[in-house]
Amino acid sequence: MNRYRWLALPIAAAALAVVPWVTSDTIVQYGINALLVATLAQAWNVIGGFSGYPSFGNSVFYGLGTYGTAIAMAQFHWSFGSGLVFGAVLGVACALLFGIPILRLRGPYFAIATLGLAAVMSAITATVEIAGKNIGLILPLFRGDKLFYELSLILLVAATGTVAWIARSRFGAGLVAIREDEDAAQVMGINTTMYKVAALTVAALFSALAGGIHAYWITFIDPASAFDPSLNVRMVIMTLFGGPGTVLGPVLGAFVLSAVSEVLASQATGVASLFYGFVIVIAVLVMPKGLLDLVQGFRETGWRYFVDNLRRYRI
Amino acid sequence: MQLFGQILVNGILLGGLYGLMGLGMGLVWGVLKIVNLAHGALIMLGGYALYYLYTKAGIDPFLGLPLAMLAMFVLGYLLQTALLNLIVRAAQLNTLLLTFGLDVVFVYLAQLLFTADFRTINPPYAGKNVSISGVVVPYAQFGAFLVALVLAGLLFLVLEKTRTGRAIRATAQNLTAARLYGVNPKRIYAITFGAGAALAGAAGGLYGIVSQITPYIGVTLTAKSFVIAILGGLDKPLGVIGGGLILGIAEAMAALYLDPTYTDIISFGLLVVVLIARPAQLLGRA
Amino acid sequence: MTEPLFEVRHLTKRFRGLIAVSDVTFRVAPREIVGLIGPNGAGKTTIISLISGTLVPSAGEILFEGRHIERLPAYRRARLGIGRTFQVMKPFPGLSVLENVTVGALFGTGGGERRRERAEEKAREWLEFTGLARRMDQPAEALGGPDRKRLEFAKALAMNPKLLLLDEVMAGLNSVEVDQVVELIKKVREKGVTILVIEHVMKAIRRLSDRLLVLHHGQQIAEGRTDEVLSDPRVVEAYLGKRRQ
Repeated sequence: MNRYRWLALPIAAAALAVVPWVTSDTIVQYGINALLVATLAQAWNVIGGFSGYPSFGNSVFYGLGTYGTAIAMAQFHWSFGSGLVFGAVLGVACALLFGIPILRLRGPYFAIATLGLAAVMSAITATVEIAGKNIGLILPLFRGDKLFYELSLILLVAATGTVAWIARSRFGAGLVAIREDEDAAQVMGINTTMYKVAALTVAALFSALAGGIHAYWITFIDPASAFDPSLNVRMVIMTLFGGPGTVLGPVLGAFVLSAVSEVLASQATGVASLFYGFVIVIAVLVMPKGLLDLVQGFRETGWRYFVDNLRRYRI
Repeated sequence: MQLFGQILVNGILLGGLYGLMGLGMGLVWGVLKIVNLAHGALIMLGGYALYYLYTKAGIDPFLGLPLAMLAMFVLGYLLQTALLNLIVRAAQLNTLLLTFGLDVVFVYLAQLLFTADFRTINPPYAGKNVSISGVVVPYAQFGAFLVALVLAGLLFLVLEKTRTGRAIRATAQNLTAARLYGVNPKRIYAITFGAGAALAGAAGGLYGIVSQITPYIGVTLTAKSFVIAILGGLDKPLGVIGGGLILGIAEAMAALYLDPTYTDIISFGLLVVVLIARPAQLLGRA
Repeated sequence: MTEPLFEVRHLTKRFRGLIAVSDVTFRVAPREIVGLIGPNGAGKTTIISLISGTLVPSAGEILFEGRHIERLPAYRRARLGIGRTFQVMKPFPGLSVLENVTVGALFGTGGGERRRERAEEKAREWLEFTGLARRMDQPAEALGGPDRKRLEFAKALAMNPKLLLLDEVMAGLNSVEVDQVVELIKKVREKGVTILVIEHVMKAIRRLSDRLLVLHHGQQIAEGRTDEVLSDPRVVEAYLGKRRQ
């Protein structure tokens, strides 16, 4: 089984790559959104899943990537490639600049600090002239959903590949040690500050690139949509649902939850939200370690997996 | 100078209400170590409870407040018993997520039951005000401010002087030791969360009097409650009121001297700065 | 003594008015086993934390291989070759026993192994050494008391430390287990490691320590050869009524 696992991924990637040529435009558009949000989930996985620092503000990197690309293309008239790079640089700079002070905080304080950072950045953007203030920016138009789809797919593959590398590397072992017990990790020789900042920077990079691609695709951006706060929760939920700290968990969680949410959205307004809400509550209660762990756990202990989870953490 | 005085008073009055919002969140956070992302939704629900008590049953808002608070207490008690008590010993992230899920459900239900229309609680004295040396003090805002202070004072007294309050504080500091003293953690946790919900509900009711409520006011208010609770030191009621005052005055000043669009930058900027600048104190509480 | 491996000079630690450690000075030669004893609350774990870098001294100096390390962060000290166990055992909960020890091998002295496979090999060797080999793939959380201690030990050893700080590794062990751990520690010393042991179990301290350092209320009240220190009346008095077997 193990040997063939490595074949499964390229095959899946190839299958996904073919999708735009065999389905309708709506599906391609849904696909782009799903791929981008899966990238965000994977990026979050590095800082939240592996390192155990649950950021609730990764939207700040996404937003900076969005705006960086938009400003570069709409105001400086650069090419898309340069725009993406500019957006990525903004996102990474933010991670490096704020990472050090914020990563000193633990648990919920870190989560809230990131939330605050995202809100501040969003509010600041709304007041900056070059970013078009509240009105936003319009990028040059490029028709070609298929291209955006493939780009998004490449980005997701790159992000997943990076996570796969992290999972097997010394760097990854260090991140996991930090998550499990940061004091012990330090005493064992891990430069926790550097590792955490590095993890956040990786997350920022992919999030910013996702934002940049998204910006050029939808052509019009404004602070509310670029720094969309609901993205934060979605990427967190998707990763946790699929399996934090795993390679495929975030992708799985993102695809499954996007699909369901998409199906429900067409049924009745707001019901998708209700569904999300319930899923989260139930999932936290009975499958707190995500889908992948559920699959494995279910194989081992059947329905008792759920009951055990219900019992294990209660007062 | 008069304008400054007016803005200052506005800020203080608003700050009292903010402090009340922070109280419930800080209490639950400090004692149960639960960061309640549904706090804003509870505020919102409290607002609607008081609204319907007033419009359907004709009960004066300030008199109906205890009823609304009671209803919210029951809701909170049930939530803790049925759901939150199940995950208290899990990673804190799980409580963040669970409460987030609850928030989503509550907002949806509110949207369904109450519609998205703006509601405001308008008792006859709502528009009236008193003028003190040129500074206008609206009755409603002043009443809200007083109620906030009274509730904060009550919470402080309950925590310090009553048996239940001592049990709550003991549980906050050391669960195992508290158990040895005969404290029933499930009950204490449920009571604490219920109290937090009741305080949120009160804040919501008062908010409905001085402003408008929709199903969506929760998100921003949750975020502000974070700031206020952290500024105030979580489960220290007097500190939290202070935190509320700081935020209220800061926002009022920002609205006056800068653009109103800067209020968000102020509140969240303050949050980030406080978190970065005081990590040692906060880490002690984590 | 010959060039000490590490020394501590006038080490002091204050916690907001409480003086945990006061003016402690001593040296440890390479390959020595020095015991650190004293009643509960004497400041022993604090000293270990000060040496390993978990705490920063209020005053005083710490020298390791002749270099001042009192301002170095914990991870740098680990890389220099200082390893420690924790009194309250802290295995990495979500990881297996093997994974726990692998972390030690990946990040220890000199930055540890660069490649994960190599680190895992070393980890396996240390698990053999400490007798945990058959529990390699079990989750660390599933281990019982004595095995947790072995794991704590193995993790620290996997770091290839030059100086090993052991914090009450014998607590809760029965007589047979204590003997086993004593033998283990002696074997570790034979490999060239210098050891500082905090212990309450007198039997173990007597058999292991070349020298003893006695703390009481954060102050150093005796230091010297084991038998001399143990018969020092001040030491006996400090322990009277507070002695644990």
